Amino acid sequence: MRRLKGVRLKILQGIFLLAALVMLLPMIQTFLYSFASMAEMKAFMKTRGSYDESLWMDAHLIPNMVSLGQYHQILITDNTVLLLFFNSAMYAALILLGQAFFIPPLAFGLSRFRFPGRNGMFFGIILLMLLPFQVTMVPNVLTLRGLGLIETIWAVVLPMWFAPFYIFLIRQFMVGLPNELIEAAEMDGAGTWSTFLRVILPVCRPILGAAAALSFAESWNLVEQPLTYLSTRQDLQPLSTMFNQLARENTGFEFAGAALYILPALFVYLFFQEDILSGIQLTELK
Amino acid sequence: MYRKKRLVLPFILPGLLGILMFYVIPFFWGIWYSVTDGSFQNSFVGFQNYLNVWQNPMFQLGLKNTMELSLICSPSLFLLAFVISVALNRLRPAGGFFRNSVLLPYLMPSSAVLIIWLLWFDYGGPVNRLITALGGTRVFWLQGAELRLPVILLFLWKNLGFCVVIFLAALQAIPESLYEYAILEGASFPRQAFSITLPLIVPSAFLVFILCWVNAFRIFKEVYFIGGAYPDEALYTLQNYMNNMYGKLNYQNVTTAAYSFAVIVFALFGLLFFLQQRAQRGLN
Repeated sequence: MRRLKGVRLKILQGIFLLAALVMLLPMIQTFLYSFASMAEMKAFMKTRGSYDESLWMDAHLIPNMVSLGQYHQILITDNTVLLLFFNSAMYAALILLGQAFFIPPLAFGLSRFRFPGRNGMFFGIILLMLLPFQVTMVPNVLTLRGLGLIETIWAVVLPMWFAPFYIFLIRQFMVGLPNELIEAAEMDGAGTWSTFLRVILPVCRPILGAAAALSFAESWNLVEQPLTYLSTRQDLQPLSTMFNQLARENTGFEFAGAALYILPALFVYLFFQEDILSGIQLTELK
Repeated sequence: MYRKKRLVLPFILPGLLGILMFYVIPFFWGIWYSVTDGSFQNSFVGFQNYLNVWQNPMFQLGLKNTMELSLICSPSLFLLAFVISVALNRLRPAGGFFRNSVLLPYLMPSSAVLIIWLLWFDYGGPVNRLITALGGTRVFWLQGAELRLPVILLFLWKNLGFCVVIFLAALQAIPESLYEYAILEGASFPRQAFSITLPLIVPSAFLVFILCWVNAFRIFKEVYFIGGAYPDEALYTLQNYMNNMYGKLNYQNVTTAAYSFAVIVFALFGLLFFLQQRAQRGLN
């Protein structure tokens, strides 16, 4: 592709820099507001929803006075947010653990073995990937009830272990690996399992990292599953379903809560950033 | 490639059993629900549920809104992602900061971001300030049909990065020499874009389009956060309908609506797949 030079390059760079800042603004604003005092935020949030033509909301970005009051409230005084946070962390951890156990071997089997029905299975997985959650919601509730899992954390966790999208993603990456890798391992006398564990998995690091990050993002943002599978268990709800309600009550600590909620996702992103980019680049997404 | 069929079983069996149990069996079990009446005898009623649901005004409203929203959301996301990635590709190696920050929203939890979003679109908020500064009048963003715009923008903000990353990967795989040759031949920039870039990224573009569409169908999450179970008429999606029917324990209606929707999704996917195959053959 032709490279741009001179003034036009500078203009395009400027536009992109500005756009990047706008993209990041919601997070930046959340973090800045989280250091305002609770009284200030309460007063500020009260000015929302006014339809008086002469009134505007305060448009400041920096708090009037830096305070750790909101954090003190959610971390020490009142543990509501913290408990929900731990629920969310538990779901994310259990979901990722199960996925790590079930999905890579399945993707390996579907990509590096030749057996009848393989393409049909893969096509089925793609179709399942396209389905919205609600399509299988009712029968899923009945299945989970039959297993005695409804209204327990496992109702949310177990189906996610076999999420079709990540099978698709990892399988596509494995299909693109050179055959020599496996042949070389076979020459050294490695069986299928040791080839899988010692040769294939290490090479798949980028896509495994990408899948882990994307799956974490999904688990951190679960809404439909807890609402339907845990409808009577307020105590088991994750932050994702409850946070909105907390924010609506004008508590004064919503921004520290949001910052705490965003922070793990931010760390996961920074940690897996390179994996996501290179994982997708190397995957045969066709 | 391994050929011994027996060896594959330990790899795929646990995963397949899980998929069978939590996805495939519920899928087929649901079909049974959509053709029975849900009474004590649970007798077979054929397509009666489908007739009832399709005549239900709330279902029609939900279907209309879901289709409209996805018809607005997915093409605009697709085009925006394509334009940005082409521009970004010309900017290489600069532009890394943008690439990194555009992907971040994909990982952000919706409800945390929504506080800021609702502030921005408040009647006295920054968006209306900008509009009045440009000479317009304030808009009631958080009421009625106008609420669609914040929801659509939130969708674009969240999903743009992932699509850009897939496009960029495809663009970067195109060998530089093709363009050099085209420039020697005197091809203009749009001509290069259509004759070289587009054909070579059709497979990735197809995937991006599918992902745009699938995610557009999932816009319910944001709608639910803003409007609850019964949002404004302009935002009442099919998922709202299904969730509310589920809340009323009307399982027949939920599954019937769900399968009607699934058939539409599969038909759209089939059509897109067919078009992609044709496009690829035509371009080769």
